[in-house]
Amino acid sequence: MSGKASTSKPNIGLSGSDGLSHAYIQYPPLRCNVPGSGELFYDDGNKLVLSSTSDQVFSWKVCPFDPLIDPTADSISEGPIIAIRYSLDTKVIAIQRSNLEIQFWDRETGGTFSHKCRPESESIIGFFWTDSQQCDIVLVKTSGLDLYAYNSESNSLQLVQAKKLNVSWYVYTHESRLVLLASGMQCKTFHGFQISSADIVRLPRFEMVMAKSEANSKPVLAAEDVFIVTVYGRIYCLQVDRVAMLLHSYRLYRDAVIQQGSLPIYSNRIAVSVVDNVLLIHQVDAKVVILYDLFADSRAPISAPLPLLLRGFPRSSTSSQSNGRESESSDSNVLSSHEAVTYSNTWTFLVPDLVCDVANKLLWKFNLDLEAISASSSEVPSVLEFLQRRRLEANKSTRAVTTVPVAKQLCLGITRTLILEHRPVPVVAKAVNVLVTSYSHSIKTGNYLKGLKPEKTSTSVQNTGAEVSAIETDVIGKSVIHESMKRVDSGSVNKASTVSSLDSEDDSWSANPKHNSKAAHSAYVEQSSLQSGQEESQLTSAAISPDEMYSFVFSPVDEEMVGDPSYLVAIIIEFLHSANSEKIRVLPNVYVLIIQLLARHERYAELGLFVLNKILEPSKEVALQLLESGRQNAQARKLGLDMLRQLGLHHDYVLLLVQDGYYLEALRYARKYRVDTIRPSLFLEAAFVSNDSQHLAAVLRFFADFLPGFKNTSDHNRYCRILNEMNSPITRE
Amino acid sequence: MGVSSNESIQLCIFDLRRGQNEGQELDKILFFFPAGLPFSKQLSVIGLSEGLITFTRIFSPEAACEVIEAERHSHVFHEAEPDIWIIMVVEKSNDSEPIWRDDALRKVLKEIHSLFVMFHGSIRAMLEKEPGGGLTRRHLYSFIMDYLRDFLAGKKLLLPSFRDCLKERRTVQMLTIGREAAIEVQSLVRVLESSAGNTICYSLILFQDLLVSTTLSPDDTINLFTYAVLRLTPHALSAGTSSWSYLRKGSTASNVATESNVAHPNSMSESFYGSSDISSGEDNHYHVVRPLQSDKWSKGKDGYLVTDLWGAEVGTWVFATPTVLLQQTGQKMYLCVYQHRSLTLMLLIPVSSVLNGEQGVSAVRQQVIENASLKILKVEEKLSKGWGGENAYHVSGYRYLLVDGDRNISRASPATKVTTLTKESLLAMNKLRQEVELEKNRAKLDSCNVEKDLEMCVRAKNNAWVISRVTRGKELYMVLEKANETLLYASDAVEKFSDSLEIITNSSKPNLAYLSIPKPAENTNCNFLSWLSMAGTAMEHFHWTKENQACGARK
Repeated sequence: MSGKASTSKPNIGLSGSDGLSHAYIQYPPLRCNVPGSGELFYDDGNKLVLSSTSDQVFSWKVCPFDPLIDPTADSISEGPIIAIRYSLDTKVIAIQRSNLEIQFWDRETGGTFSHKCRPESESIIGFFWTDSQQCDIVLVKTSGLDLYAYNSESNSLQLVQAKKLNVSWYVYTHESRLVLLASGMQCKTFHGFQISSADIVRLPRFEMVMAKSEANSKPVLAAEDVFIVTVYGRIYCLQVDRVAMLLHSYRLYRDAVIQQGSLPIYSNRIAVSVVDNVLLIHQVDAKVVILYDLFADSRAPISAPLPLLLRGFPRSSTSSQSNGRESESSDSNVLSSHEAVTYSNTWTFLVPDLVCDVANKLLWKFNLDLEAISASSSEVPSVLEFLQRRRLEANKSTRAVTTVPVAKQLCLGITRTLILEHRPVPVVAKAVNVLVTSYSHSIKTGNYLKGLKPEKTSTSVQNTGAEVSAIETDVIGKSVIHESMKRVDSGSVNKASTVSSLDSEDDSWSANPKHNSKAAHSAYVEQSSLQSGQEESQLTSAAISPDEMYSFVFSPVDEEMVGDPSYLVAIIIEFLHSANSEKIRVLPNVYVLIIQLLARHERYAELGLFVLNKILEPSKEVALQLLESGRQNAQARKLGLDMLRQLGLHHDYVLLLVQDGYYLEALRYARKYRVDTIRPSLFLEAAFVSNDSQHLAAVLRFFADFLPGFKNTSDHNRYCRILNEMNSPITRE
Repeated sequence: MGVSSNESIQLCIFDLRRGQNEGQELDKILFFFPAGLPFSKQLSVIGLSEGLITFTRIFSPEAACEVIEAERHSHVFHEAEPDIWIIMVVEKSNDSEPIWRDDALRKVLKEIHSLFVMFHGSIRAMLEKEPGGGLTRRHLYSFIMDYLRDFLAGKKLLLPSFRDCLKERRTVQMLTIGREAAIEVQSLVRVLESSAGNTICYSLILFQDLLVSTTLSPDDTINLFTYAVLRLTPHALSAGTSSWSYLRKGSTASNVATESNVAHPNSMSESFYGSSDISSGEDNHYHVVRPLQSDKWSKGKDGYLVTDLWGAEVGTWVFATPTVLLQQTGQKMYLCVYQHRSLTLMLLIPVSSVLNGEQGVSAVRQQVIENASLKILKVEEKLSKGWGGENAYHVSGYRYLLVDGDRNISRASPATKVTTLTKESLLAMNKLRQEVELEKNRAKLDSCNVEKDLEMCVRAKNNAWVISRVTRGKELYMVLEKANETLLYASDAVEKFSDSLEIITNSSKPNLAYLSIPKPAENTNCNFLSWLSMAGTAMEHFHWTKENQACGARK
């Protein structure tokens, strides 16, 4: 994408940062300013912003985004620079010096060599490093793609493969590993290659749609009008149709390119960012951004067009607005008002979610204001679905995120509010179901665990064509190719990591309740979509486990709510309903809460029904709570006792029987199940308290017969004496 | 005793606070069956009862007399409300074994009273409202006659006898359902009860004649369950329609007619209790609601059951929604009954919270259909799939009755299976149950907190084993006719029963259940046993008979 980044043209427009917005940039920005430096370059393979002076190149790592990071400097020789890209292991710096020459710089040895192409027949448009096993670097030339292996020992490039094509320009993003080559008079014929770690896939040639303004005019598609977008592990291509004022979207499959519909645009200059799988369509001229969630089938925007907000800028918003208007003329190095202008003409958008103010050498990162988004919609279940799909980075630099991701906190908050506001049970049930389904999904795909500890799936799913979902095949009719992709860990961007199956990727995103039926689910698994090697940083899922549901929703709500418990019980029942249909294990604390609620309002009959029907699954915690609640109600206590017995907690059961005075039954039971952990004196004491000499004698006899050595204990002697005393008055009579 | 020999059964209700002056004795009689009996005879029955009550109260002010066993008759007493007594007099048979069981008969009396209170409020309250008592008598007469009609077979009233010893009145029979279905049902319950906004409603759900869910107190549950099984469930409704044409209704009607004709020789008593065939049009500025009148409920187009028993809303043709009185809270509730196939849903909405009467109720009904109809379909389907049929809870080789006294639940072998038992076995069981009742009452009088454990094994004349076991509120009665010679064999059989039960309970640990592939929600046999696990404590200790004997021998 570097070609695009450097070719962006300045645009003119007003700027403004208003209060209401759904996306924002956070002050402070990353300053990429080094005295004497010239142009800025972006290396999206390594996520580096580069700046060169005459003999040095400075690089700022922008993933994870940290505005205070210091640059790394490397010495290079002087000369013109068109593009700089570090090799993926960052050992080699490649500098495009002209359209004929690329220079390579070994950072360790300092060795250098140049690669030149034949000047008469071709020129270099650009290049990029790959993690493919077959080649290391790909040169895009007017005559096609050249795939080279880099040989550090011989200081040379060895041609592995050449794809001969006429190329006008190209678009590449490292996260998709996809290069799109434009050709033809209008530059609307495209050839695509995905050069991933496992394979090189050639996409079928396709044409982009261009509306004609007049009969004879043929608009030419420019590189800045085509975007490769990676969301939810799927690759889309977005194309600006300036005449029709539409943004066409295509979904790229390995063997097909399917047009997906079009989005309206309101600006001549369009830029696209992806934040957390949400598509940000910047209407640069209009200075607004429209958000889309391509996951859902509908092409409706998430929200109305709203300006981008600059957050944390230490001035009042009114002054920043008024100053913003002066920005066109001023040019200062201090972060002043004119730098804090959104959508200034010097903004260059970087993949996926960065923007570079090339004039002021500032780098901003786009963020979503999930809170504002969720507050702007009243359709709670769909808001929750949206939030559940967010995989916000647990990034150190984003201050808000400490332990619980924002999306998750929002989901919990929304659910709590729903319940506290006593919204109708079906509404809350639907919301709860969204959360449970999403959690179940994240468990199945391992995303939930990923949030807790970074874990890569290394399973390769071999697709069976027969199982491809009917819907998908109807639309696409495509074959299934097995492919792999490479993921890069957040900690070490350069380190190639485990190869995992592409096809499982989509699955991990379909947290949509609409697709929770088995058939639809498998449709997602089996989809043979062309997917990207996504660079994932350590992501935390917004999925909410039953335990969290308890401690952040039910338990706090229980404390706040007053009055009749049946509403909360109804909600928890709906939760159990969802959990049961998703086969998610619910922890006993939820059951304990139900017991407390019902017992508090003396609805023991219902409680009994719940226990008998095993709606409250038996566990020791549940049993103990029943016993606790049983202080007020003997039936509940019995239920608790029975549960202990059923669970095989013999010791507790026998102990409680003795406590309740059923010492004879306790003895029988203890003998049957060989419970020998309870002191005989407990039984004897209980029998003594009951004031029945026969029973006491029976208990004594029991221990004398069945407990070896009991006759020599002090207990035996003591209770023999007591027994004699008890019997003596009778004999006297 | 002035009981006419052709009437084997008498039933009367009287109020000790009324008619205490000479010449006003008739005033204390609130109900008498048969109504045609001369007043002198009625008074003599009541006089005897009253005398005994007064006498026994000297010794036991709290609980006066419960039963009198005379040579040829048994008098069963039940003090329904303070000073309002219901007495039943039954004729003894010539057999040496008793055919009646006091407790079973008393439960009939309790049922009559509880149902009456549910529909009309307490008798005392009624009498206070109308000191003359005429209206109360009319209510009681029509209500009890409607009730007794169900017991009529030919010309005789068939009250619970020894043949019904493996049944327990005043308990509910529950459908055993799996966890998944249970959650589904509960989900439905919550939606149902939230249909009336923030009002606290109650509901009962029945499948066939079995209870699936209730949010009412146990006593109210029994009353409504009883009423549902008598009049509302699909079974009850279809019995009504089939009898519409000929069988049941034809015979009952004629019988009641003949009975009342025969038993109503004097017009005085007829006017005293009110006419037996009260119709709303007859006199009447006051309409006597007869909730137990049979064949009066039918299923409407919208799935709700409708009846004209409660008359129509004033000035409209809309049938008034039935109302019932909850025993626990004293609230008056609208009763809406919805039926989908075998599923009967009863929703109770507080009258006080529905502001605009019938209109408000129909709004709630509409809301229920909107919110819950999908869930109703789902639940019905699920329950039907797991339903094992009439004999679902039959265990071959055993004829049993299990009662959970805490929860007022019972389960028994299907009636058709019980009828295969010989008369000897049934008589023995009847007697055994009588003994157990006595023992239980004695324990109650001792009033110690610890519930008595009780176990009895009896060898009947026909060599069948008749077993009862009472442990901590749960009772098991069992008849083993094909058991072998020894007690050992009998207790082995029971132990086998209890062992299989233990396996079930042990394997139902939640973890295992989760790991295994979920089974079809209902496996009848398996669920039967897991239901039995309620009575697990009771069952486990059968083998202790042996040890106790051994212990005793040693002593």
